[in-house]
Amino acid sequence: MNAVVYAISEAWRSMWRRRGASLMAVLTASASLFVLGLLLLAGTSASRLLERWSAAAEFSVFLADGATPTERAAIERTLGSSGLVAGQAFVPAEEALRRFSRQFPDLAAAVASLPANPLPASYDVQLRPELARDPSVGRLAAQLRQQAGVSDVRYDRRWIERLLRLVGAARTAGLALVAVLTLAACLTIAGVVRLALHARRAEIEIMQLVGAPLAYIRGPFVLEGTLLGLTGAVVAFGVLVGVYLLGRDPIVAWAAGLVAAGDVRFLPLGVALSLVGGGAAIGCVGGLLAARTAR
Amino acid sequence: MYTRGVYALRDLTLTIGKGDFVFLTGPSGAGKSTLLRLLLRQDVPSAGHLIVGGRSLSKMSASQVQTYRRSVGFVFQDFKLIPTRTVYENITFVPRVLGQPVAVQRRKAFQVLKWVGLQHRLNAFPEELSGGEQQRVAVARALINDPALVLADEPTGNLDPDLALEIMNLFRDINARGTTVLVATHDRELIRRVGKQTVTLEHGLLVEDA
Repeated sequence: MNAVVYAISEAWRSMWRRRGASLMAVLTASASLFVLGLLLLAGTSASRLLERWSAAAEFSVFLADGATPTERAAIERTLGSSGLVAGQAFVPAEEALRRFSRQFPDLAAAVASLPANPLPASYDVQLRPELARDPSVGRLAAQLRQQAGVSDVRYDRRWIERLLRLVGAARTAGLALVAVLTLAACLTIAGVVRLALHARRAEIEIMQLVGAPLAYIRGPFVLEGTLLGLTGAVVAFGVLVGVYLLGRDPIVAWAAGLVAAGDVRFLPLGVALSLVGGGAAIGCVGGLLAARTAR
Repeated sequence: MYTRGVYALRDLTLTIGKGDFVFLTGPSGAGKSTLLRLLLRQDVPSAGHLIVGGRSLSKMSASQVQTYRRSVGFVFQDFKLIPTRTVYENITFVPRVLGQPVAVQRRKAFQVLKWVGLQHRLNAFPEELSGGEQQRVAVARALINDPALVLADEPTGNLDPDLALEIMNLFRDINARGTTVLVATHDRELIRRVGKQTVTLEHGLLVEDA
């Protein structure tokens, strides 16, 4: 307990004495953790959005003009016997036109002025979620395209897959950036702690000569690094909350129709705590790196 | 032995009894400071043994060295006080980093400050003290943990003769309480005035034990 109290008081004293360098270390740590937090925030929001889109993804089968009831029945049989379909609904051409007018009110008048309804009747097909990414869905689409009475098949998952790959690539690039920033933060903190170590070399020598335990010699430096990292993490967290609160509504308004308010949510509690804990851990490693020379 | 075959100390057999006061003298480079460094376990001999209180210093583990050093007080020519801490903080630094309770630190600090006559300067910083006062603070710090052995390396090297004698009187008082004292100095006049056992080294060899 005495060692902890000693380490806290000495770490605080040291940080205050070198407040300029401490501030620099805190800012470096907070910059890297802010970028990490932003990536996590964007990543979780994108995942949530893609999940919602995936769940809503439809397999649409557009019918040719004049598709006969027999052809429609054959199509329904193909869908039903595939084992991939959770539900299907026939959408007449008139209903398709109404939906279009609702979704694109600006174009509704133009479409209404046309001599005939340009939109075809279709089937909205809900895939079974567990099989939605199965390769057999692609085969089913290909089979339907060949079937009489079908003009086209639209399978939304393709572009969702592309989007998922894009998000994955962005996440990998982001993580590489975070790794570099984390290393920079860790080394900056280690540098600042090493400065503290240098400034207190006389004290360390005396501690060594009087037989002070290693916990007393190294503890304050490890704690100093930890506190610098933790402070950086708290600053990063605060900025992240501010950015989220200020940016959420404009993003939702800008991407209206694509992004719902529920898609852009703040980091889950566990992730947020891990971010703050991660900052402390980065600082702790920096402190340990610097303190290992004091023994 | 240093690298390249140079000896700091050689063929040295010396016994210092418990409660003795011994001066270690000789010209610069004779090996006085090396012997003190060995006794403080800052160095280990390349050959031979150092036995203190029945324990071989060469065979001690790191944790045993820590425990051993807690029974040794040390005083240096350059005082080695922490400039950013007050007299009181410099003195309580030792019990503090050994994890002793605050009440014990305070009691011991006032005891040793009274002993060295600096109880009125406890809030002063080292730079506000004279050389003699700074060395008395260093002596107080060496004593605060009730050491069995006090090692002093040229403790009066930066002091005028009167202050030097004053510090030596403190060492004599410490010794009178049963503490073994080993003082390295090249000041023959001071040794004559104090009049204690003297071990003379030259080029790492023991040349006189009187």
